Amino acid sequence: MSAVVDPAPAGLRARIADALWRRPGLTIFLLLTPPALWLGIVYLGSLFALLLQSFYSIDEFSGMIVREFTLKSYRELFTPANIDIIIRTVVMASLVTVAAALVGFPIAYFAARYARGRWKALFYLGVMLPLWSSYLVKIYAWKLILAKEGILGWLFETLHLSWLLEAYLSLPVLGGNSLSVSWTGTFLVFLYVWLPFMVLPTQAALERVPVSFLEASSDLGARPAQTFRHVLLPLALPGVVAGSIFTFSLTLGDYIIPQIIGTSRFFLGQAVYSYQGTAGNIPLAAAFTVVPIVIMGFYLWFAKRMGAFDAL
Amino acid sequence: MNPILKSCTALIAAGALAGQALAAEMLTEIGPGEGQLDIVAWPGYIERGETDPAFDWVTKFEEATGCKVQVKTANTSDEMVALMNEGGFDLVTASGDASLRLIAGKRVQPINISLIPSWDTIDDRLKNAPWHTVNGVHYGVPYMWGPNVLMYNSEAFGDSPPSSWNVVFEEMTLPDGKSNKGRIEAYDGPIYIADAALYLMYHRPELGIKSPYELNQEQYNAALDLLRQQRKLVARYWHDAFIQIDDFKNEGIVASGSWPFQVNLLQAEGFPVASTIPVEGATGWADTTMMHVDAAHPNCAYMWMEHTLSSNLQSDLSVWFGANPSVPAACSDGRGMQTPEGCRKNGFDDFDKIHFWQTPVSNCPSQGSCVPYYRWVSDYIGVIGGR
Amino acid sequence: MTPAVRFAGVSRHFGPVRAVDNVNMEIAEGEFFAMLGPSGSGKTTCLRLIGGFDQPTAGKIEIFGVPTAGVPPYRRHVNTVFQDYALFPHLNVRDNVAYGLMVAGRPKPERYRAAEEALEMVALPGYGLRKPSELSGGQRQRVALARALVNRPRVLLLDEPLGALDLKLREAMQEELKALQRRLGITFVFVTHDQTEALSMADRVAVFNEGRIVQVGTPQDIYYRPRVPFVARFVGSSNVLPPEVTERVAGRHVHAAVRPEALRLGAEGLAATVLSTAFHGAATRVALEAEGGLRLVALLPKGVEVPQEGACVHVTWAREDLHLMTEAGA
Repeated sequence: MSAVVDPAPAGLRARIADALWRRPGLTIFLLLTPPALWLGIVYLGSLFALLLQSFYSIDEFSGMIVREFTLKSYRELFTPANIDIIIRTVVMASLVTVAAALVGFPIAYFAARYARGRWKALFYLGVMLPLWSSYLVKIYAWKLILAKEGILGWLFETLHLSWLLEAYLSLPVLGGNSLSVSWTGTFLVFLYVWLPFMVLPTQAALERVPVSFLEASSDLGARPAQTFRHVLLPLALPGVVAGSIFTFSLTLGDYIIPQIIGTSRFFLGQAVYSYQGTAGNIPLAAAFTVVPIVIMGFYLWFAKRMGAFDAL
Repeated sequence: MNPILKSCTALIAAGALAGQALAAEMLTEIGPGEGQLDIVAWPGYIERGETDPAFDWVTKFEEATGCKVQVKTANTSDEMVALMNEGGFDLVTASGDASLRLIAGKRVQPINISLIPSWDTIDDRLKNAPWHTVNGVHYGVPYMWGPNVLMYNSEAFGDSPPSSWNVVFEEMTLPDGKSNKGRIEAYDGPIYIADAALYLMYHRPELGIKSPYELNQEQYNAALDLLRQQRKLVARYWHDAFIQIDDFKNEGIVASGSWPFQVNLLQAEGFPVASTIPVEGATGWADTTMMHVDAAHPNCAYMWMEHTLSSNLQSDLSVWFGANPSVPAACSDGRGMQTPEGCRKNGFDDFDKIHFWQTPVSNCPSQGSCVPYYRWVSDYIGVIGGR
Repeated sequence: MTPAVRFAGVSRHFGPVRAVDNVNMEIAEGEFFAMLGPSGSGKTTCLRLIGGFDQPTAGKIEIFGVPTAGVPPYRRHVNTVFQDYALFPHLNVRDNVAYGLMVAGRPKPERYRAAEEALEMVALPGYGLRKPSELSGGQRQRVALARALVNRPRVLLLDEPLGALDLKLREAMQEELKALQRRLGITFVFVTHDQTEALSMADRVAVFNEGRIVQVGTPQDIYYRPRVPFVARFVGSSNVLPPEVTERVAGRHVHAAVRPEALRLGAEGLAATVLSTAFHGAATRVALEAEGGLRLVALLPKGVEVPQEGACVHVTWAREDLHLMTEAGA
């Protein structure tokens, strides 16, 4: 007669396996402890250290950090020059996010609905390719494209449209001496660099919308625009919001792109970088880093209120 | 750790330090090499022929001494200070705004110049320079120095090359008939406030500026006003040499404060640029090889410091980097590629016109109370932002 | 009278695959019409062609005499109950039901009233504020029905609407659907692969096989008078006699069908061996193998003696129960 159950194992590994099987809670505990420690100590710890720093101040005379609670750094944060930096960064991040959603949605829609087989592979390649090459190389390449005597300028000249470019560059705020030293240039490069982060989650969300939903909407008399407005968009929204969290926060924190392309006016990341670096004004740098954290907090709260996470 | 603080304490502690420094253990004799040498250096400063086979001043040293050279490059003075604080290195090529911090923080040790036979060949103008000599004690061996020149497009200026920094500070019509607006650049670092102060030192003597790095509130405000005026003319603020090179080629930039490095590279490509040190003088930088207080390979370190002065290094590096050797003979004795003409182009004869970079501190020697560097940082950000 | 839906030579080919191949049919107004067939037989494609989700590669489809070529779904007064119900997960039940009226621009009070009426009709009053995810399968099915009916369609298309329900619920819904159709008088076009469902609900049934309609008729026609062996086998699993056997027992060289419940075991007739027996409650199912490997199934009513497995028996039937199939085909 054959045995009904195997005898209790003798080996240590087998005994551990049995013990874990009997106590799933222990398994989960063992699995979660390292990441929890990592998150708790390294991540939250450094965040709190940062927050603490922002409540210190720098002594005007000696430049020493005074380890006493004060809101001085935050008062300094709200000087006109720093407010400029905050507004400039938030406006840029918002514009980049909206543009990424507008440009990214059709790409994602095509990939989710129509692309099959080889086209789908091509899509992933096309979207991901910018992520493979070095971020710096791409930005320098864009500098060449946007330069006064760069590729775009040459293109406009070849098409006898230089006047159009000139007219655009003469616009206040948007324009400048050339595209590569204008806000438009900064915006374009931001859009290019962060677009994949919008396309991929949007495409994932769109792929989860069954075709039958669109057919049902059309069946019930909705024109394509109505189907988009009432069915597709609400269901894709979690993906778009996820993407916008990427594009918004990445733009908010970046300090490389505005250094190379644009008007040289500072963005938040650059301000943090120079205050904590050469200036040694760590309290103000810390206060500056609190700004994007607060802004993202509001952003997530607002997105939640808009129902962006309801379909999760 | 806050680097500025150290430079502040540097000056306060300097007196006390001097007495102790001599008491600290200083090598009195060079023993056999330890087989290894770890150096923190600016990128491009220590070449072993890997970038360009013609530029190699390490291989021969290794062969002769058996000291294997390992280089850790650093991109800012702060990074250098941080690496030296971390330890594990023997030498560092520190600039004027890092050297005093290192001395104050006791991260570097005094140098026994009698162990460096070529010390006497060093430029007299550098031997006792204040950025490495504190109360008569030498904390390093001068390495390289260079001016921040005015680079300009020689086609745009034609027969009347600029002789004043006014082409980058005041709106004007250039010899090619077009305005300089949108065609100039300025340096993207708070230390550039010193360039504005230098300009005012010459043109508005009533302000009483004695050093562009030591400004009282009134002088400082005047410099900021000048920079705000400049903001309207500037196309881009640069801090990356290659971006500036690209801007002169592709963005129609015709004048900017720059380094001989960019001038040499652009001229090598046949691009019509030239450089000058204008009547107001110029700011500049001077680097020193300094030795870590706990250097693990002191014998190799001393051998390297001697090597920096006596070999082809001074000559070839000055060509490679567009800088000036700290040993004047390197310009002319044919030990490397440098020539008297090359040194002249790099500003060798203009030493007196150059105000070397140093970190602005509150308690400045010339006026007692100055605007400290951290305010330079925030205010320059404001100026660039249009405030 | 103009038919509600008319197919004239309609084909839909996907590359080399003939999903629908030269289909001709007419569905009368007010009729409960079932399209029956195994999966891949083309019935669902036909439904999608009526709904406008797909276009025929050849032929013509008319809805109440109006050609539908190039008419998008949202301009057809035809509504669909989808197989997966396709309820919008981000809208509550009321907004789902009122969706058609919303996109038509009707004012809120009107569409909410209509939605509530439609929900009452499908016996879900007061469920308006729930989300679809909070409903059971049967309830979702009713909501889908209400949503399709609220637009007052001229033709209602139902794509296997009961497929996902368990047996008991399915039987209840069959009756309800039938009653609803009677009450509203709307033309129902119903796709199913379940012959019991088709036979019990429909006025007429079209049996599909390999992209073609093999037989259209009343449930009785289909059940008792299959025209081809496929229908005989697929609908009610009739025993199909090959022409050689028919010739021997009935004198004609054609396929013939005889229903399992019509078979009797007796002393004479076709000799067969009992393969297996299975108790089915009201009847016992006996699987037989006759000479030449012919497989037969007999349903023996209660009270009749059940033979042993392996026993040799003779199979016979009443003459009128043997249905000769005049058309060729599998």
